[in-house]
Amino acid sequence: MEEGRGIVFKGNAEGLIIVIPQGYTPEEIMSETEAKVSAASRFFKGAKINVAYRGPKLSDEDEARLKAILDERSGAVIESFSRQEESDLPPKKAAPAAPSAGIRRFFTSDINEDSCKFIRSTVRGGTRVEYDGSIVVIGDVNPGGEIIASGNVIVLGTLRGMVHAGAAGNRDAFIYALSLKPTQIRIAEAIARRPDDSDDHVLTPEIATVKDGLIIVEPV
Amino acid sequence: MGEVIVITSGKGGVGKTTTTANIGAGLALLGKKVVLIDTDIGLRNLDVVMGLENRIVYDIVDVMEGACRLKQALIKDKRYEGLYLLPAAQTRDKNSITPPQMVKLCDELRREFDYILVDCPAGIEQGFKNAIAGADRAFVVTTPEVSAVRDADRIIGLLEANEIRSPKLLINRVRQDMVKRGDMMSIEDIIDILAIDLIGVVPDDENIIISTNRGEPAVTDNKSQAGQAYRNITKRVMGETVPLLDLNGSEGLLSKMKKLFGIKPA
Repeated sequence: MEEGRGIVFKGNAEGLIIVIPQGYTPEEIMSETEAKVSAASRFFKGAKINVAYRGPKLSDEDEARLKAILDERSGAVIESFSRQEESDLPPKKAAPAAPSAGIRRFFTSDINEDSCKFIRSTVRGGTRVEYDGSIVVIGDVNPGGEIIASGNVIVLGTLRGMVHAGAAGNRDAFIYALSLKPTQIRIAEAIARRPDDSDDHVLTPEIATVKDGLIIVEPV
Repeated sequence: MGEVIVITSGKGGVGKTTTTANIGAGLALLGKKVVLIDTDIGLRNLDVVMGLENRIVYDIVDVMEGACRLKQALIKDKRYEGLYLLPAAQTRDKNSITPPQMVKLCDELRREFDYILVDCPAGIEQGFKNAIAGADRAFVVTTPEVSAVRDADRIIGLLEANEIRSPKLLINRVRQDMVKRGDMMSIEDIIDILAIDLIGVVPDDENIIISTNRGEPAVTDNKSQAGQAYRNITKRVMGETVPLLDLNGSEGLLSKMKKLFGIKPA
């Protein structure tokens, strides 16, 4: 599929929007959506999302098929499914020539104004917290605990477990901890583990960001 | 009304059963009426550690299935006034009883006993769910090993999810000489990770192996350091404030004697 053409998934505060270009046959829509959703199922898993689609109006039957694919393939709970009329769109800057061009990922572009989840306890081993937005933990994250966020992750305590920030692909995401001793951290598709010989007694807060595809940890 | 305390750990072999036996015997020595419940169905051990194996006629599954009355299954430990054991079945499995049955059993025992100590099996499956079902409090046993601490952390999370608030930590088999050399996690390291209150620290002591094999809880052994640790824990269970045992007392007989006579070590 060449850039600028094809089905595009967009995320916003309300949920997921599927943008279908003109001139697609229902079969093309179904197969391409299926492929895309399957590829991203790890991200969708367990989420509850509202889905809308933009583009040519589908028949009721095709709408039902599309919803069934999302239900089956994404692992998410589809709370609602509807067509978004152009008139429903907020009046905004003139639509760029090719609205779908370049936006192949599913995340809110402005990470600094994400929604945020607060956790006011220790995240112990065996606990997994996933959130579409940023996560703030007031407490520790212990080994075996997992934090998965599409935005930033802030741990106001010791981070000993695994954190994945920018899990939907946002490389601008960061991970901050008062004491950063993770088993592993991930930002977008970059993965870093703690060096085996790292000093256990660093007591300054540190922040992890991505630079040139690599995770960099620096004192704050 | 009695109190139901579950003794659990997640990992196997860290000393749940030994702890149950010693705290149970310790409480009985202090004049409390205590019953120990072994919920490790299929892999029962508490009866062996208590030296009561050959007196089992009925077990917990018989009670649950109505094959006998509760009183018939309780084994009285003749050495300690007021100490009873409800043994596990050996030829059945963990699915032979259910959490609601455990709640009912605990409520029944609560009327008769001051303390009901539940020895939990290793793992987080059915046996664990049964064991914690009727509990008011929980003691989490761990050893200063990374894997045991990991499992303890998981267990604390599960206890909290099951509304058993503020479990207490028992750190077993601590070797102060290894901690000093930096080869073993210290008590501070463990508490830092698990972030719960301590009920006691038990030093590694070969007397425990001897007493366990003999079926005599070490808590009665005045010479054993672990026995002293368990006596202190018993008092803490009853609400007394007892300072932690000084684990540096294992330097050898001479320095022990010097301490005894108030001579400062050189």
